This record gives sequence, structure tokens and C-alpha cells, in this order.
Amino acid sequence: MPPRPTAGKDSLITDEDEILQAVILADSFNKRFRPLTIRKPRCLLPVCNAPLLDWTFESLALAGVQEVFVVCRSHAEQIKMAIEGSKWSKPGSGMKIVPIVTAKETFSPGDAMRDIYTRGLVTTDFILVMGDLVSNIRIDEVVRLHKERRKTNKDAIMTIVVKESGAIHRTRPIGDSAVFALDSKTSECLHYQPVIAYPPTRFVQIPRERLESHPEIDIRYDLIDCGIDVCSVEVPSLFQDNFDYLDIRRDFVHGVLTSDLLMKNVYCHIATEGYAARVKDTKSYESVSKDILSRWTFPLVPDDNYPGGQRYEHVRGNRYLAKDNTVVLARTCKIGTNTLIGSSTRISEDVQIHASVIGQNCIIGAGTIIKNCYIFDHTTIGANCILEKSIIGSNVNLKDNSSVPRGCLIADSVIVGPGAKLEPFDRLSTRRDEVEAELPDEEVDSDVEEVEARQSHINKNLGHDSNALVWPHGPLSEEDGEGPENEKNLRFMRIGDDCSDIDISDPDTVSSESESKSSGSESEDDTGYDTTASSDVLPPVKRDANESEFRSEAKQSLVRAFSEGHSIENASVELKTLRMAFDVPLSLAREAVISAVVGWIPIVQGGGAPQRQEIARVIDRWGNMINEIGGVDPVETVTLLQTMCASSDRMPLFGQILAALYQSDIVEEDDIRAWHALPASKGEGHRAEENLKKCWMIGSHMLQQFDAQESEESESEGNEDDSE
Amino acid sequence: MSSYSNLRPVEALASKLQRRQVVGSRDAALETVLVLRQVVTKAKFSNINQLISIIRTVGHRLVEAQPKEHSVGNIVRKVLHHVREEYHTATGQSAFTASSAQLDSGYSIARFVQQGQPRRHHVTGPKSSEIRGTLKEDDPDDPDSFARGLKPVLMEAIQDVLDELETVYDNVSKNAKDHIHSDEIILTLGHSKTVEAFLKSAAHNRNFTAVVAETAPSYSGQQLAHSLSSAGIFTFLVPDSSIYALMSRVNKVILGAHAVLANGGMFAISGSLLAATAAREHSTPVVVCTGQFKLTPHWNLNHQYGAHDFGNPSEVLAFEEGDLVDKVDVLNPYYDYIPPELIDAFITNDGDHPPSSIYRLLKETYDDEDNEL
Repeated sequence: MPPRPTAGKDSLITDEDEILQAVILADSFNKRFRPLTIRKPRCLLPVCNAPLLDWTFESLALAGVQEVFVVCRSHAEQIKMAIEGSKWSKPGSGMKIVPIVTAKETFSPGDAMRDIYTRGLVTTDFILVMGDLVSNIRIDEVVRLHKERRKTNKDAIMTIVVKESGAIHRTRPIGDSAVFALDSKTSECLHYQPVIAYPPTRFVQIPRERLESHPEIDIRYDLIDCGIDVCSVEVPSLFQDNFDYLDIRRDFVHGVLTSDLLMKNVYCHIATEGYAARVKDTKSYESVSKDILSRWTFPLVPDDNYPGGQRYEHVRGNRYLAKDNTVVLARTCKIGTNTLIGSSTRISEDVQIHASVIGQNCIIGAGTIIKNCYIFDHTTIGANCILEKSIIGSNVNLKDNSSVPRGCLIADSVIVGPGAKLEPFDRLSTRRDEVEAELPDEEVDSDVEEVEARQSHINKNLGHDSNALVWPHGPLSEEDGEGPENEKNLRFMRIGDDCSDIDISDPDTVSSESESKSSGSESEDDTGYDTTASSDVLPPVKRDANESEFRSEAKQSLVRAFSEGHSIENASVELKTLRMAFDVPLSLAREAVISAVVGWIPIVQGGGAPQRQEIARVIDRWGNMINEIGGVDPVETVTLLQTMCASSDRMPLFGQILAALYQSDIVEEDDIRAWHALPASKGEGHRAEENLKKCWMIGSHMLQQFDAQESEESESEGNEDDSE
Repeated sequence: MSSYSNLRPVEALASKLQRRQVVGSRDAALETVLVLRQVVTKAKFSNINQLISIIRTVGHRLVEAQPKEHSVGNIVRKVLHHVREEYHTATGQSAFTASSAQLDSGYSIARFVQQGQPRRHHVTGPKSSEIRGTLKEDDPDDPDSFARGLKPVLMEAIQDVLDELETVYDNVSKNAKDHIHSDEIILTLGHSKTVEAFLKSAAHNRNFTAVVAETAPSYSGQQLAHSLSSAGIFTFLVPDSSIYALMSRVNKVILGAHAVLANGGMFAISGSLLAATAAREHSTPVVVCTGQFKLTPHWNLNHQYGAHDFGNPSEVLAFEEGDLVDKVDVLNPYYDYIPPELIDAFITNDGDHPPSSIYRLLKETYDDEDNEL
């Protein structure tokens, strides 16, 4: 059959129902590649001599994507030019690429998603990828599965593509990874917790509710997050509704999974075949380059389906030489395995190159040794230099007898040497020229300015003709990045850094302590756990303020509901919304309901039957609210009721309220027993110990009554048996 | 002319080939014929050179997209050969008939070297004599008249190539019973469709035993073994390591080919060299089943390291082995080169040939000027 019917030449683009759309977030939204990215966006850095963005396009083209939106922020003009000049904008490429320039104020992927929503770009289920993806996974297959799932479950809004790797893998970044809790059968993602290397993450907490509904759960810390998400069309609108979602993983996915209001599901697709990885930082830049050269990305390899224009010849030992016969190799040079050399590059006598990528039109001087380096186009390296595990930009001139030890990043057009001795992890860039300095609105320059201001403190041997600015080690400004962007954690993402001086090993004491704790009293663990489970990832200070505010808001809302006689559904929805807005744990909402309900019961002087009637009336009307706010936990309910009564003037009502709750099936006998068995219920060590103790005694009485009833029942049963 | 190589079907096939979405010699060949037919249908030309140059540019684009699928280039060469043939028949060009007449009359070694193998005689049917004389190249009044006159015969010629491809399995296996005798033990490996059809056809008349090697790392031998045994052939599936040990009992080794080279050697799925060498050790005949579209007018491909088509290492070493991935270089060549000394015969859809006469077949099938597209 002909591959495509000629009659419908443009039908692929115009047919609205069938086209597969993709969104590429081309900006990195971080500064991990500084200073290489001062004058160039990250997505145009060459990986194995082809721009990163082209690798991403090719990955999408493999999946048959027909329309791509490239969301770019910094250096948007360059990206536009690159797309216009690439083979993708030629007719017949089968892919329509639309660059979208977002405002400079777009600081996070979340902002970009909101921008996509406001522009109304996506019309159907779409693929969301970052502009740093190298993949040969059949994404169309994932899209098909996603659509099938959507037919039965409308709430499955997202499918995350992950790839299995070992616990230690060069392609899996330890500075920015995650623990996934997946349902073993459906691979629904039940919980997502980001894990960073520093400060080390020691515990992962999975909400208990998750364990109830899913009997089998895989908890995995060996997955590479490929950054490929198949999203339903409502995903951008969720970003729009939740303006505080910044990162797609740590905010959006985590938020959707922990929210009990959105009721949306996220699924994972564990890719068994194929390769996918992201070039997130300089370390993964190295590992992805190595993976390409050792052909894990086949057919996306330099001698086959190579996204750049140049063709390469594959020679024994995974060496790749440009195919146009313009590479000049001296007779005595040694080219090691896993090396790629671009066209028109000249390698002089006695040069040794190991596991490196050399760009086009480079000149390597005699006697130079290059190990594990990534050198971009048009760069000149002098004679007798030593380079190790570094990234050298384009048009760099490194003069004779210089040494570049591991981890150095040298930006475009820097001149260093002769005889320069850099230290490990040095970062060099050029000074701003006058034209650039006059453009104050370029956000880029603030950093460079900062660096320029500090030059006087730095004395380094850079050689007499150097034009380089030395970037200081450590962060530029005082404020340290949040989350994974803190200084020590960034070291785990740096090329050539083994981080042997940072202590991330788990101290033994911690793990043994937690073990003994769990082996001790399980019930104690459970309650302590549940109250903190969903909230532990938030910074504590913010939480306290939120909690007190939530308490007062919830109280007001409930009092209004009681006095105006709202339905339970409406009142609970209102409460849920409040809980979401303040982001407080479920137990707090429960506390608010119980305190409001107890507070609503009028105290009848003299007690007795009229008091009991009042209690029954209020509990009948509003008691179910306790279970409506999301999640049922009667033991906690009783505990909260106890604390509430003990610290208020409604102390004498405890027994009657508990009885009323029991009557209306909000708490069961077993729950009361479980509460009774809790050591905390006796109120020891609590400031209201006496009152708590009284409540506990009332509970004991009640249980005695239950016991008596039961024995009567069993007796009567026994009698019946006898009589027969 | 470059506009023709940018046609949507050409681009689509080129990217499919490049992305390995079309794999296998026959599938690639079929797709190529279909694309060429579309190109010729749409082509505007007023003389034969324009037409040939159009086909060559399209061919060049496709071959460049995936140089490792040799059948793509072969099909382009074959179509070019047929186009020239039809053109000569249609115009009844004297130079050509004169040269064949000469060859008929005097047959000298000197002329043989100069001219190459004598071309097959062209059947001059009544149809071609009708057009003869009406065709006029570079007609200034009606530039399309040449194309209009020639296109029907061209379509027929391309259809012939297509028919040949579609019937290739039947034609290869029609004489299967002459090659496989009763109670023989046949060893094969990989999952070649040609070999599969050949063995199944032989099984109609003969009662033989097939031994199939698993063919790691693709394990395509397992599929072949399954298919053969469900066709009622007595089949053993053996690990690759036991090929040598079993060879003393084997009567014949039958292999499939990826590309047959001008020197009589061939590229075949990796593991074939092992089997062929073991067979040579035991003087077991090695027979290759192949369609003629796999005949490739190159002879030195084995000097190009990349021609072995190194695939994804994950078939050999799982990507999950994070610790090893960093320390081990894994090579996974898809093809072996088998030198002509190890092959006894090629069974093709057009007769059986020894490796030493492959070059003659090539001379007959393709024109010399097309060897480099």
C-alpha cells in the first residue's frame, strides 16, 4: 500500500479529530547549565552535535505526532530561527511546529501550562514533554492506552511514562528523582513523592487511605521519569484553577493525588522497550550523550536516524566520524571508544581522545589529551592541553599547555591560556560587550553583572590573553533555591562531581529507631501517622498559620450552615473547599466539624431527658457531616470528641453525645473499644488530664454496658437453644 | 528535479525507512516500488533522460535515508533497467538492436569484457510495434506527448517488478522438493519468510526434520519453529550453542539472506556465519534461499564496519543493569557477512545459481551506470 494517500495532501493537518498534538516546554526554568546558557537556550545546546530540540522533535515524530507547540521563554527568537531553519519546517516533514513565546514572567512549567490554557491551543488529548527529551519509546502506543483507559474512567487525566532502571544507573538522576507508589495490576499512580539527594530524604509517607482501596501496591524507587506525559485536555485547566501549581511533578501530580476533592487519577506507563531520558542537568547531559554513543537509543544514533544534518560513519568500537571525508586525523593520534568527531575537524599528532564528543570545525593541537569531554563547534584547543569531564562551548579558544580538570563549564567564545590552570568545577564565560550591557531588561544579565562585580576577589591563572569571567563556586545570591535547586543538591547534578564529601548515607540509628517504634505499639503509630501523613511535605511554619485561619473560617462557615439550615452536602462541600484553600490535613477538618456540632448543642439546665432530646436532635441532623468531609475514621472522631468535651463546659454531655453517635451509627462498638484501648485516651500527661480521665471512665461504663448486653444476648440465645 | 525527491510519499517512505518503521528487505522493496509508481505517474518529462534523472533522484533520497536496506536501491536499479528496456523497445532504437545482433554473430572474449554479459533478447510483441514511430522526444509543440506515449508501458514494466516481488516466495519454493529429500535433517536459523515458505512447500512432498536454532538475541528462531511445527513439520528448537554439536547429523543448512553481494557472499542475520562455518567443517552443504531483488551490485560492503547494522544493546544486556551499563560496551550486530566460500548454492525465484555466477545475474538485472545511485 502507498504510505499515504496522495489525494489528502493536507488532510493530516486539517482533520481536527484525528491529529495528535504535543506540547514541548522548551525552557528549563532553572539555571543548571549556567554559564553555557547565557546566550543560548538550553534546548539548543548540542547533544552529540545535534541540537537537543531536534532530538526531542525526532522522538515525537517517531510517535506520529502531527502538531507540536513549542513553548519558549528565554532566547525565544533563537528558538524560532532554529525551528524555521530546521528540516521540520520543510513541506513533507509530516509535522507542523508552532513556536509559542510566553511572557518573561513565566517562571515555572505551571505558568507555561496556564499560558497554554489561556491561548486555547490544545483541542484533544496531547503529549506533554520537556524540551530536553531523547527517546525512542513508541509514545503513540501510550496515547492509545491512555485513550482506552479514558473510555472507562473519565477521571484518568494523565499517563506518566517511566522507564525501569536499576537503583544505581547513570541515567537516573539522584538529585531529582521520585518514589512512585503504583497499583500492581493497573499501574495507577497512587502516590508520588519527590526525592532529592540533599537534604537526604529518609522517609516516604503514603496516605493510609491508599492502602485501604488498593490491596497490592508497588513502591518503586528505580524508575527514570522520562518527562513524557500523555495528558487529557482538561489538564491545562486544572493548572488554571490551581494557581499555586508550579512544577508538573512535585506540585501538580502530588497535588492531584493527595487531593480528595479533585477525584482525578494519574496512571504510569512502565516502558519495557525503548529508551527515554531527559537532559536535565550537566550530569544527565553526559549520561545521555554516552547512551546515544553506545546505541541504547537505537535507531536514534549518529549513523542512523540522526536528527542533525550531518551523517556519521560508525567505525569499530562505537567511534563515529563525519561521513563527508573532511575529518583529518593525524597518523599518531589515538581515538578511543565511544567517540564522535564532527565534520571538518582536525586532530593533530599524538592527541588522545577518550569517550568524548568533538564538534564540527574544531582544531585539536598536538599532544592534547581529552577524556570524557563535550566540545561544541568551532572550538580550538591548543597543544599539550589536558581536558577532563568538562563541557566546552563553541568558538572557545583554549591555548597551549592549559589544563581543564573535571567538571568545568566554559561558555561560548571564551579565550583561555596559554598555560591556564583551571580548578575543578570552574565556570567561565565572557564579559558582556557594550551592546548587551545596554539592554537592562534582559534578565540574563543580572547574573553576569553579579559575576563581574566579584571579579576583583578572584585570582586565577587564566593566561595573559584571557577574556574570561570566572563564576564563583556556590550560589550567586544569598537566597538558596527551594526544593531540588539548593546548592548541595545541585552538586549531584553536576558533571564530574562524585559528591563523596557530602554525607547522604542513612545513619543507622534512625532506621533502627523507627523499626523498634513500629514493632512496639502499632495503634500508636497509626494515629500519629494519619494526622501528619498528607501534610508532612509542607513547611511547618506556613502550616501553623494556615491551621488557625482554617479553624476560624471553618467555624464561621459551619455556624452559618447550622443556623440557616443548609443541607449536609452543601455544608460539607463548603468545608472541603476551605480545606483545599488552606491545604490543611483531614483531621483538622474533622476537629472543626466535631467542635462545631458539639458547640451547637444547647445546654439544658438540669440535664436529663430534655438534654438527651436536644443532643439526639442535633446529632440526627448534623452527625453525618463528620463522615461527609472525606474519609471515615471513627476512632479519631471519638478521640477528638473527648478532647473537645474535656476542654469545654460540655464535659457532662460526653457520655450522652457518644451514645447518640453510637445510636446513629456514626461510631460502632468496636470503634469505642479501640479508642478506649488507646493509651492517649486516658489523658495521661495532658493538661486536662482530669477531664480526659473522666471521659475515659464514662467510656468504660459504656463498654461495661455493652458487655452486659452481649452476655445477656448470648444467654438468651443459649436459653432459646435449650428450649428447642 | 529536486522537487520530485520532496514529494510527500517519497519523504514519508524515507522517514519511515530512517526510523526503522519499515524493516525487512521485501517490505522495503514493496514500498519502494509503490512509491516509484506514484512518482512515475506524476512525473512530467519530455525525453528519456529527464525521466531517468527523476527516478534516480528519488532513488538517491531513499537509499540515503537507509543505506542498510539494500533492496531499496536494488529495486530502483531494476526499475531504471526496465524503463530503459521499454524505451528501447518502444522507439526501436537501432544502436541497441545493432549491438545485440553483433553479439549474436560474433562472440569474442574481448567484446565480452567490453560489453559485459550479453543482454537478454527483448521480446518485441505486437504492442510495442504499434507505438514504434509514434513516439517523439522533445516535441516542441506538445512536450507531454512523449510521456503520454511511454507511460502505459512504463506502468506495465513497474507492475512486472511488483508482480515479481509479490510472487517471490512461491517462485523460490516451487522447486523445494528437488532440494529436500525424505528423511533429511535440515538446519536453519532466524525467521526468514523465504526459508519458511520454502520448507513448508517441501513438506507437501517430503517428510523431513527441521532443526531451528533460537538465534539470540532476537530469538526469531522461536517464531519460525512455532510456525513450522504448526504446519506439521517435525521441528526441533535448539540453542545457538549446539549448532556445531548437531552439525554432524545435519544433511543441509538452509539460510535466508538480507543482501546478496556481487562476489557471491551475503549478509544474513547474525548467527548465520557460525552455522555456515560449522557446516563447512563437516562438509555439509549450505544453501541460501533468496529472491533476486536482494542481489546487490556491491562487493566490498563487509569492509564497512557499520554495514553489520549494530542495533540496540538492550537486547543483549538489559538497560536496568545500571551498574554494568556504565562499565561494559555491548555490541549487538544484526547481520553477519558470510563469504562466498562458505555458500554452495543460491536458490532464487529465477533458478539456482552458484556463488560464482552471481556477478552475471547482476549484469543481466541492472545497468552498470546505476551501480552508484
